[in-house]
Amino acid sequence: MSRLKAGLTWAVMAVLTVGLLAFGATRSSGPSTQEERIDAISKRLACPTCSGESIYVSRASAAESIRNEIARQVAAGQRGDNEIVAFIESRFPGSLLLPPTEGVDSLVWVLPVVALVCGFGGLVVVFRRWQREGRARANPDDADIVAAALREHDDPTDGL
Amino acid sequence: MPAVVWASGIAGPVGRGALLVGVVAAAFGALAAITAARESSRGEAVRTSRLVPRFVGLAFLASFGAIVAMEWAMVTRDFSLQYVQDHGSRSTPALYNFTAVWSALEGSILLWIFALALSAALVAWRYRRRLDDELISWAIAVICIVLVFFFVLSFGPANPFAAGAPGVNDGPGPNPLLQNHILVLFHPPILYLGYVGFTVPFAFAIAALVTGRVGEGWLIETRRWTLFAWGFLTVGIILGGWWSYEVLGWSGVWAWDPVENASLLPWLTGTAYIHSVLVQERRGMLRVWNLSLLLSTFSLTILGTFLTRSGVLNSVHAFSESDIGTYLLVFFGLVVLVSLVLIGWRGDQLRSPGSIDSPVSREGAFLANNVLFTVFAFVVLLGTVFPLIIEALQDRQISVAEPFFDRLSAPIGIAMLALMCIAPVLPWRKASTELLRDRLFWPAWCGIAALVVGLLAGAHGLASLLAFTLGGFSGGAALRQVVLATRRQGWRGFVGRANGGMIVHLGVILIAVALSASNAYTRSQELRLSEGVPASFAGHTFELVGFSEEKDDRSTAIKALVSIDGGQAYAPAITKFLNMGMNVGTPSVKTTWRYDIYLTLEPPVKKDSGEARVKVFVKPLIMWLWIGGGLMALGTVLAAFPGRRRRPTDPTSAPVPAHERVTT
Repeated sequence: MSRLKAGLTWAVMAVLTVGLLAFGATRSSGPSTQEERIDAISKRLACPTCSGESIYVSRASAAESIRNEIARQVAAGQRGDNEIVAFIESRFPGSLLLPPTEGVDSLVWVLPVVALVCGFGGLVVVFRRWQREGRARANPDDADIVAAALREHDDPTDGL
Repeated sequence: MPAVVWASGIAGPVGRGALLVGVVAAAFGALAAITAARESSRGEAVRTSRLVPRFVGLAFLASFGAIVAMEWAMVTRDFSLQYVQDHGSRSTPALYNFTAVWSALEGSILLWIFALALSAALVAWRYRRRLDDELISWAIAVICIVLVFFFVLSFGPANPFAAGAPGVNDGPGPNPLLQNHILVLFHPPILYLGYVGFTVPFAFAIAALVTGRVGEGWLIETRRWTLFAWGFLTVGIILGGWWSYEVLGWSGVWAWDPVENASLLPWLTGTAYIHSVLVQERRGMLRVWNLSLLLSTFSLTILGTFLTRSGVLNSVHAFSESDIGTYLLVFFGLVVLVSLVLIGWRGDQLRSPGSIDSPVSREGAFLANNVLFTVFAFVVLLGTVFPLIIEALQDRQISVAEPFFDRLSAPIGIAMLALMCIAPVLPWRKASTELLRDRLFWPAWCGIAALVVGLLAGAHGLASLLAFTLGGFSGGAALRQVVLATRRQGWRGFVGRANGGMIVHLGVILIAVALSASNAYTRSQELRLSEGVPASFAGHTFELVGFSEEKDDRSTAIKALVSIDGGQAYAPAITKFLNMGMNVGTPSVKTTWRYDIYLTLEPPVKKDSGEARVKVFVKPLIMWLWIGGGLMALGTVLAAFPGRRRRPTDPTSAPVPAHERVTT
């Protein structure tokens, strides 16, 4: 395959992928059932009597009654998902499972990004250093040593 | 039976005795091994080494004796022991009575000790002819020291053989969730084999640092130990997900619970290690990094045990609060301190010459993999301990749970899939653009094909479509390697680290795609079913055909019989465990290769009314999670077989010598 042809094929593949992804990302997901709205809301809230479980996961009676309250509000259709979450949170402070992005709590969001930047930044730094060091080339003496070692390795009588 | 009457009450003293023998034997094993190592380093005749396997064998027998004594107490319902009073019951079925031994803290530590002593015995047996080797002696000494710690833990603060109150002759039995699925027999022991298995490479790493033999020798020795520990941890985690799915009734496999996170942490660093260790074996580089990853993996198993077994973190998995926390924290601190001091002490020897020529090379890909895996581990650790930090600093409570982990793990998972597209086809040293263009051509088309299939199946949303595309691409890249290897080498193209590794990749990709699909496209609805009146949801019909009731001494179960699409009836149930007065729902699942239909019965159930509330989840691709898990286990076993031997000076693309080719 010529270089130009290969380049064109890859370009077509890239355009096709981006186009299909854009089509899929923007197509409608269809209507949600009430139950799916209840599930989505209950996944964002902690069960007040359980050990770190969400309302969605927990089978405890406290979680059951909050789920019923969410179901009632979803069925009434007067509040959006965020408003229902805020309402439950006002009744049970600290039940929000997603930590806020303000104050000290924001560290839980910031530190992973810092770690990622440090990790890949560190890689860039060491690769630059390696490229500088890598400029040192083997001299003819080094090449002779390697050749001798290879000859020794290939000798079937070696060590006999 | 007279024998049982005679033996009643002996489990306590026998168990305590076995633990004491274990402490002493492991301590003497460590001493003998250290003495042997010192004799060897001084060039003296190594006399004490023959004592090492005897002490290790005795410690193994003691651990076996202790767990058998506990089983005996449980099986014979010896209610003189507190542990049996708390977790045994006359009405628990035999299987769950057997597994009740590890259903709480003290018993689970006994299981841990047994797995660790087994590892120690296997190491002593495997290296029985090399016990005068300083490296081996130090490694056994380290394993014995870890064993002493756990024996002491069990003999002291986590004593499973403590006497109970007199006059008790029945108990509540294990937690109901631990007595309604057979996976309770497999998930904890296999997971523990994974945790404990990492003690062996950890011990060799410490031995290498102590002896100064920090070259690649110890890596070669521990290659298979590490692989099997990783394999057991992988299978243990997947079985845990399966158990959660089949038992807990919320239709998920992973809830980012602290105990689940504690198992994921060493898996993440262990996975990073088994990739980057290849760079060290091949190029002699990354010595400090690999040691750090391995020491972190072991430390994280101890830290995870501390976090989840000491009561500092709340978790549904966590056992009752106990005072073993201080012991575990001190031990964790010691492990970290000793590791850091040793790495600092051997710093000069650990510096390796050489450099990685290009980031676009297999070495470069392994390093990028390591960054992603360690950042992922950092995210999981941070999210798990962050509520503790906030509580300590500001005396208030916050929750960091599933939504946080889901939000951060999705982009990391996508990045990992992207890396898996390219990494398998990269050569060592350096890759040219032409080479990549050629090798990635068909895998890229596989990615586009997967995207088209996803769209035709109605998929939407950028994240999951990206996961399908990259899943197809990376699957194509892994398959390409397998096809090329089997073409060149016949059946041997399936074995060896590189080839087995590709099978593991295929398993991981299946899991990633299945998780992505099931998280994004699960449909759910609660149906109020009346007998004989079908209801429709998500293209299926559901009809309540009746109820059934099962009673025994232990529980009363009510099942709603629900026919799906006019076919077989499935039976989601609610079981009342009489001893605890606790209701536990048990889902019923129709599994097909495209989707699962997951039914749960919602309380309250009034069977006389002829009605039932049944929650229906239609979850795509769930079966592929378990197939992916199976492929990961298979790939690990295949990777442990010796692959094609290549002369180290040959390029990786060199043809196989004629005499090694397999004719078919």
